[in-house]
Amino acid sequence: MTILPFPSFLDDVKAKGFKKAVFEGIDDSVERLTAGLNVQDLREAFRGEAASRRPNPRLTPHADGFWLHMRPSYFNRDVTGMYPSFRLGWLSSYFVFFETITGLLLMLWYTPAPEIAYGDMLTILSNVPLGQLMRDMHRLGAEFMVAVVAMHMMRTWITGSYKKPRQFTWFSGLLLLVITGFLSFSGYLLPWDQLSLWAVTIGASMAEATPVVGDQVNLLLRGAPELGANGLLRFYLLHVLALPALLFVFFGVHYYKVVIHGHSLPPQKENIGEDSAKRVPLDKRVYFIPDMLTYEMFWLGATTFIITVLCIWFYHAPLENHADPQVTPLGTTAPWYFLWIQGALKLGDKFFWGVAFPTIALGGLALLPYLDVTPSRRYAHRRFMLTIAMLLISVTTILSYMGLAKFAVQTSAETEIVHELTFEPAHSKVGIGRTIPFDQMIVGAYTTAQMHGADEMSANDMIAEFNAEVSANGQFEQMIQELKDQHLGANQLPLRFRSIPADEAPTLMRVMEEFSHHLDAEPTELPNVWGALVITDNQAGLKRLDWIVSWDSVLIEGGEVQMDEAGEPIIVMATEDVPMVDDDGNPMMDEAGEPMMEERTKLDAEGNPAPVRRIYSDHLFIHEAAAYFD
Amino acid sequence: MERLLFIKSIEGRVLAGITMFVGMMILIGWVAINEEARMQAFVRQHTGRSIERGAELFASLCSECHGEEGYGADERAPGLNNPHLFGYDPVGLQTAAITNANRALVRLNKDIESLSNEMIDPENPPSEERQNEILAEIADLETQINEQQLAIEAAVAQRIEILGALSQAVENGLFPLWDTVVDSDRTADNEVEVFFNNNGTRLAQVGWAGDLRGYIITTLIHGRPGSARVYPSSTGMAAWSQTAGGPLRQDEIEDLAEYILNWDKGSAWTTEDFGAVAQYGKPLADGSLPTGPQPEKVGDDVLGILARWEADEIVGSPTSGELLYDARFGCTDCHRNGASAPDTVGTLARIQNERLAEARFAGYTVEQYIVESITRPGDYVVDGYSSGLMPDNFGDRMTDQQLADIVSYIMTQ
Repeated sequence: MTILPFPSFLDDVKAKGFKKAVFEGIDDSVERLTAGLNVQDLREAFRGEAASRRPNPRLTPHADGFWLHMRPSYFNRDVTGMYPSFRLGWLSSYFVFFETITGLLLMLWYTPAPEIAYGDMLTILSNVPLGQLMRDMHRLGAEFMVAVVAMHMMRTWITGSYKKPRQFTWFSGLLLLVITGFLSFSGYLLPWDQLSLWAVTIGASMAEATPVVGDQVNLLLRGAPELGANGLLRFYLLHVLALPALLFVFFGVHYYKVVIHGHSLPPQKENIGEDSAKRVPLDKRVYFIPDMLTYEMFWLGATTFIITVLCIWFYHAPLENHADPQVTPLGTTAPWYFLWIQGALKLGDKFFWGVAFPTIALGGLALLPYLDVTPSRRYAHRRFMLTIAMLLISVTTILSYMGLAKFAVQTSAETEIVHELTFEPAHSKVGIGRTIPFDQMIVGAYTTAQMHGADEMSANDMIAEFNAEVSANGQFEQMIQELKDQHLGANQLPLRFRSIPADEAPTLMRVMEEFSHHLDAEPTELPNVWGALVITDNQAGLKRLDWIVSWDSVLIEGGEVQMDEAGEPIIVMATEDVPMVDDDGNPMMDEAGEPMMEERTKLDAEGNPAPVRRIYSDHLFIHEAAAYFD
Repeated sequence: MERLLFIKSIEGRVLAGITMFVGMMILIGWVAINEEARMQAFVRQHTGRSIERGAELFASLCSECHGEEGYGADERAPGLNNPHLFGYDPVGLQTAAITNANRALVRLNKDIESLSNEMIDPENPPSEERQNEILAEIADLETQINEQQLAIEAAVAQRIEILGALSQAVENGLFPLWDTVVDSDRTADNEVEVFFNNNGTRLAQVGWAGDLRGYIITTLIHGRPGSARVYPSSTGMAAWSQTAGGPLRQDEIEDLAEYILNWDKGSAWTTEDFGAVAQYGKPLADGSLPTGPQPEKVGDDVLGILARWEADEIVGSPTSGELLYDARFGCTDCHRNGASAPDTVGTLARIQNERLAEARFAGYTVEQYIVESITRPGDYVVDGYSSGLMPDNFGDRMTDQQLADIVSYIMTQ
């Protein structure tokens, strides 16, 4: 006989009393939710007491529950410490989920189309609360993930954990490393800024070197000969669909193998040739519930906390100007984890170093457990493989360094120097020329020649002397012409140099000193050099800075300055065409009756040969709200 | 490290974990309450950098015609660093004052009239007391009328003064056709008001209903096809946006607009700023053709044309004639294959051997025959072709030079 027309909670209340019925109801629900643990079990577990029920209810969630069915119910105490795992595998998994969550949030505001993508970035930064934090976290997490997965692999190598029976675990892990790299790489393109476009262009161009199918692979990846709308969409789909799907599949495979074989013990903890990971003695068992669970929840909190702190105060994801296929930025590199390939490419053949070499390297890694079949995991017995591991780390580091733009890439000194002073924010750095506070950009023309006078001369005297010198030899006029060519307004052309107002503008002074220092460091390529900075008002709150380098031209062949016997650079002398005269001093005529001309070295006013004076300039505009100097 | 990461007791881990989560939530909460300010700062910074990029684009692409400082170039392109573009309208302000005073005058006069009518109403004559009241009121109204008239005079004088100060600007193209209004010497009437309503600002001049940003962006995107007509030394403003076949992306268009808009001084514009502008926009005032002297058209007086060429030493260039013949006037559309009109190829031989042999063309030169065929196509139609096909208004569309060019081109065929 039930109270309501059907059995209900009220019947329990009638039978047991209200309090007991409620408590038992809660207990029941908790046991269902945890797949085996009731309130009392949980209380005991989190108090560190032994389980009072038999059979041990703390093992039931592993057997009956979905979430824990893949986690082992206990670990060997020897693998729960910092050594040997360094938690790198756990961290890799952490970043898989961390990236998925932050990535899903970013997807809400992102459209993979070239006209829209960059605007979406700006929206995320300017109109989405916590948007910047989310983007920073996703980006930083991606960089960490690549690093952590790579370190996880090296750790496995060093402790010899790839050995029998874990050969396939190693192989699936290697696949995960490759997928992680491509995941990070495909995400690189999505902001559609200069950094992403060019880093990915360089990365993707390696595919081109593949023999026979190179063009097809490239076309398939980019969707067109150049990265554009199709390429962006393809990279987006790879990034959010194809690669994550693969990653999750192989993540499952990899972890399944890890659990099946047990976490490999520190090499010295087991006998040579023996794999004792699966046989955990009772006194060494650390149960997942409650010990590992609380560890992992704590690490989860701690890791996320650290990333949050880093992203608030120390790291912001870069965003450069809108992608522009017409403008190649100076010093473009692939993402850091592909720098080693870029470095290798500088060694020679594009196919060998760009395709064959990475393939051989990865193939070698994949075959590693099958090549190294020695039974011992002890360090002392594995000197050869450990040497190879160290060699791998060293070679990768060296190749990565060689991949940097500053290694073996020829750029003329003047371009390099001006770029160094003025480059737009990239990788959290900015050219110091942009960091001059707006109120220190005092209108005028300044020159590095000010740094070069005799000590006793005042800056004003030195500038006066320099003004006289450059207006006499035509170098000032050459600069004015250059400024005109660069569309500086006629009213704004400077009349003469003035001394740098060091008191009002200390940063300007420092930048000019830096400029001078850079120029002086290139005596062979830039002889008799002077630099100038012309600051003009352009609009309210907008200044224009023209950077000028003027020097004597030197003979350069194959990117190298040519030297004469005395070890001095060969300076190119100016020539001019003059009418030829015969012995009597009459002008000579050719058959058509035109005066005949000959080329000869041009002489200056004092009758000395005059070098060809070269000039280079670049300019930038600085708005007071642009805040490069914060 | 080992001890820190592997807190030995469960309670310790639970406590440390909770602390981390709470700490993280506090941090994120702290970030969240500062987001509004951060986002605003980002917008400011981004606008600043957008202006910088716009400045760069302007210097390299626009300064050639619009001037490095945006003042425009004579007969080439209008100034953009320009109070007229940004809607600063000192003349309009005075005009509005005059209009208001005129309206007040009408109202005051009406009041006086109704009071006077009451005063002399034969059916209902006002009491003496009321009469005095009315007289006082009228006197008061007359004072007000006086004031308004003084105000009008002051505003007119002010306007004359401002226009005087703007004379250089007017010469540079500000207020085209203004002289036709001034000449009528009715400076306070509707015509003047209408003129300034239609010409006081650039947007009013072109009849743009949207805002300035929209106007600038639209112009940047689509260019200005008519500008080559308006500015004789200009090649015309091209369509700059990729959407319209130009080189710039939409974000670059926005950067440029941001830069141009940054010239706005808002309330700080002065009449002196008008003087700095080298060239003003020259709208098509009547909605059709540009103002200013137009080159004379040839007309259809064949002998007159030839005499003029003789006198002015006008010589045709076959090269530009070919361009005009093929593209500008589209002659080859019909004059090919001989299907709908005689083929261009072989014209000279045909004229010399066949046409001029006919009795009706006795005494004609080849030139005369061609000029007549172009300017008066209906006079004679070659057998086998329908009459009335060829437009008869080429004389109104070509200048002497153009016609001479075409003739010299045909003579090479």
